[in-house]
Amino acid sequence: MVIAERKECVAMLLAGGRGSRLKSLTEQIAKPAVTFGGKYKIIDFPLTNCVRSGIDTVGVMTQYQPLLLHDYIGKGQHWDLDLLHGGVSILPPHSKPGSTAWYSGTANAVYQNQNFIDTFAPEYVLILAGDHVYKMDYGIMLEYHKSVNADCTIAVIEVPIKDAHRFGIMNTDENDVITKFEEKPEEPKNNLASMGIYIFNWRELREYLYEDEKNPESTHDFGKDLIPAMLRDDKRMFAYRFNGYWKDVGTEESLWQANMDLLDDLHLGFEDWHILSRTAGRPPHYIAPTGSIKNTLITEGCEIYGSVENSILSVGVIVEEGAIVRDSVIMDNVRICKSAVVDYSILDENTVVAEGAQAGESRTDGGSLNVYPRHTIIEANKFMRRKDK
Amino acid sequence: MNAGLCLSDPHPDRAGDGSPIRTLSAAHYAGRYRLVDFMLSNMVNSKIFSIGMILNSHYQSLIGHIGMGKEWGLARKSGGVTFFPPYHADERKGVNNELDGPLQRAAEFLAESNVEYVVVADSSVVCNMDYRPAIDSHRKSGADVTAIYAKKHIISGERESAVVFDISEGGRITGVERASNSSETVNLSLGSYIMSKKTFITLTAGEKICGMLRFSRVLLADALERLTVLSYEFRGYSAHISSVETFFHYNMEMLDIEKQNTLFNFEGRRISTNRRDSLPTKYGKNAQIQNSLVADGCQIEGTLINSIVCRNVRIGAGAVVKNCILQDSTIVEKNASLDCIITDRQVVISENRGLMGYRTYPVYIERARVI
Repeated sequence: MVIAERKECVAMLLAGGRGSRLKSLTEQIAKPAVTFGGKYKIIDFPLTNCVRSGIDTVGVMTQYQPLLLHDYIGKGQHWDLDLLHGGVSILPPHSKPGSTAWYSGTANAVYQNQNFIDTFAPEYVLILAGDHVYKMDYGIMLEYHKSVNADCTIAVIEVPIKDAHRFGIMNTDENDVITKFEEKPEEPKNNLASMGIYIFNWRELREYLYEDEKNPESTHDFGKDLIPAMLRDDKRMFAYRFNGYWKDVGTEESLWQANMDLLDDLHLGFEDWHILSRTAGRPPHYIAPTGSIKNTLITEGCEIYGSVENSILSVGVIVEEGAIVRDSVIMDNVRICKSAVVDYSILDENTVVAEGAQAGESRTDGGSLNVYPRHTIIEANKFMRRKDK
Repeated sequence: MNAGLCLSDPHPDRAGDGSPIRTLSAAHYAGRYRLVDFMLSNMVNSKIFSIGMILNSHYQSLIGHIGMGKEWGLARKSGGVTFFPPYHADERKGVNNELDGPLQRAAEFLAESNVEYVVVADSSVVCNMDYRPAIDSHRKSGADVTAIYAKKHIISGERESAVVFDISEGGRITGVERASNSSETVNLSLGSYIMSKKTFITLTAGEKICGMLRFSRVLLADALERLTVLSYEFRGYSAHISSVETFFHYNMEMLDIEKQNTLFNFEGRRISTNRRDSLPTKYGKNAQIQNSLVADGCQIEGTLINSIVCRNVRIGAGAVVKNCILQDSTIVEKNASLDCIITDRQVVISENRGLMGYRTYPVYIERARVI
């Protein structure tokens, strides 16, 4: 193997999943390409974290609906990851002599890209998921991994015990050594949830990946197979506690809530660590004499003639005169026509709410969240409900 | 292959404390752009990828803004952006010595290239133009120079810098005039001239001074009898920013959304600028906004009327901002009030302060001033 330039740590970002709990929002795009916070994509968070953490080599493993994601990442220039050595590399599944294999699981995806990792001969490999909103310095986690001489370090966050059954839960001893890992336990004994962020020693990880491939029973998943196997072998597994904001945006409700959280606390940061992104480059937004804006995030290219409250507006949204938008997340290039009302909804890209039409139902009256797929036209007098699949 | 050459003039006005203002090409426009973005975008949109920037004074922020030209797709192996700053003609004679003409070096640069036509463009003019039809027309007509103009009224702050063409029936330019006091429509030069490389080199031979005004009023005017100079009309939105007053007037025109849309989306051509990934703008629960253009990264709690607000500006609760242009990172603290004020970057208006200018006399507050 020709080594281009040795890197201490290479990040491998799992971006191939559909995120089926996001339903219509991920019918045409992969979950990491879903718009968040008005001008970001979810993948901006791990990519920015890598750059800010001093990790300049990132392999992005794609599989499901990758067109938009590939285009978005480009050469990595928007994250300063267009480097001579390293930077961002897109790693789709590929054929090789004797096999043509899709990524059958998260561990298998890394297994299939071992040549990429070997190019940089790293000491450590950082495994990242592409479906969380958070700011984290992986460099500090790596220092921790080294200082405790771990075989594997897993980032964890405390969750309310009542929610613990939705997560992969770590049981640890007093030194944060992981003693047991339970995927979505019915009766959780602890509240330390895995954030899906792992650091491994590469040589060791590679051995486990080979073993895992040989096991016909394995689903080739880090959480379900690889980490339990390492625990069985009494490897040194440590939990790394993270205290900042971290939100899984894997469901429609959590995506809506994570957007709304920005109105209370704009945790995307300022000059020191703001989230890097490929922005559209549209003119500033315009608010007309008839417009009214309360407690809202608005970004470039929007034109507001109506009233907007407690909402997030993405690039190029037009709210016409007399229209009302409340408690909603509006994606790129949506048009809300005259006197239309949008309540407690997610409107995906290029949706049109026709004149006088109603989208969603009032949150204060106990309505539930409605999600409208991209390119939907919502007409007046046809109160559309989401089709549950 | 065609090349572009951007010229502009130094800012003729001074800020409130008498300090010079950055060169006109680097002046802000419509909340997130610099004037030079328009000509760079126009050239790239016209497939002109080899662009020279003739620099005059206070050009630090201009160079910083353009960099390698990455945002315009100009960080390339062939072509790209080349800067031509003024040198001292003879270093040994010290700093007060005459400047060596960047135009001469641009001419040498062009002479060595395989460039066919040169578009000389005033980079303090705002418009969204495709040069290709004008270049085609120039080629077919056999003219020495094709000058682009618009039929426009002159506004009051524009008289000093306006270049007005006399155009004969055949479209030939027969005179280069100053603006009169009448309110009639005139043939206003947009400062864009198309010519062959050879004509450019002849026209600028020995020329040391590098401003756009001199190029139009002296070089071109003197050549009208020797050369065939034809006119080419541009019908889209255009604005020439040449002073604090015109800066204020034409920025405020962007509050007319029709004008804004014709400028930024004309025939599908986009204007590019340096992107900094500011956060979306956050409006508080008591924000009152009317007829304003607001860039990203702002936090607005107070009242904003008929104003243009650039990136990362904060307006505190109870503050009232009317008819203002607030440039990057201006902070207006609680209960302050501003009317017809232009703040340069990083200005701070402290709590309860009140400042007022007038529409034809906006007050320009210099960079990083704390009031």
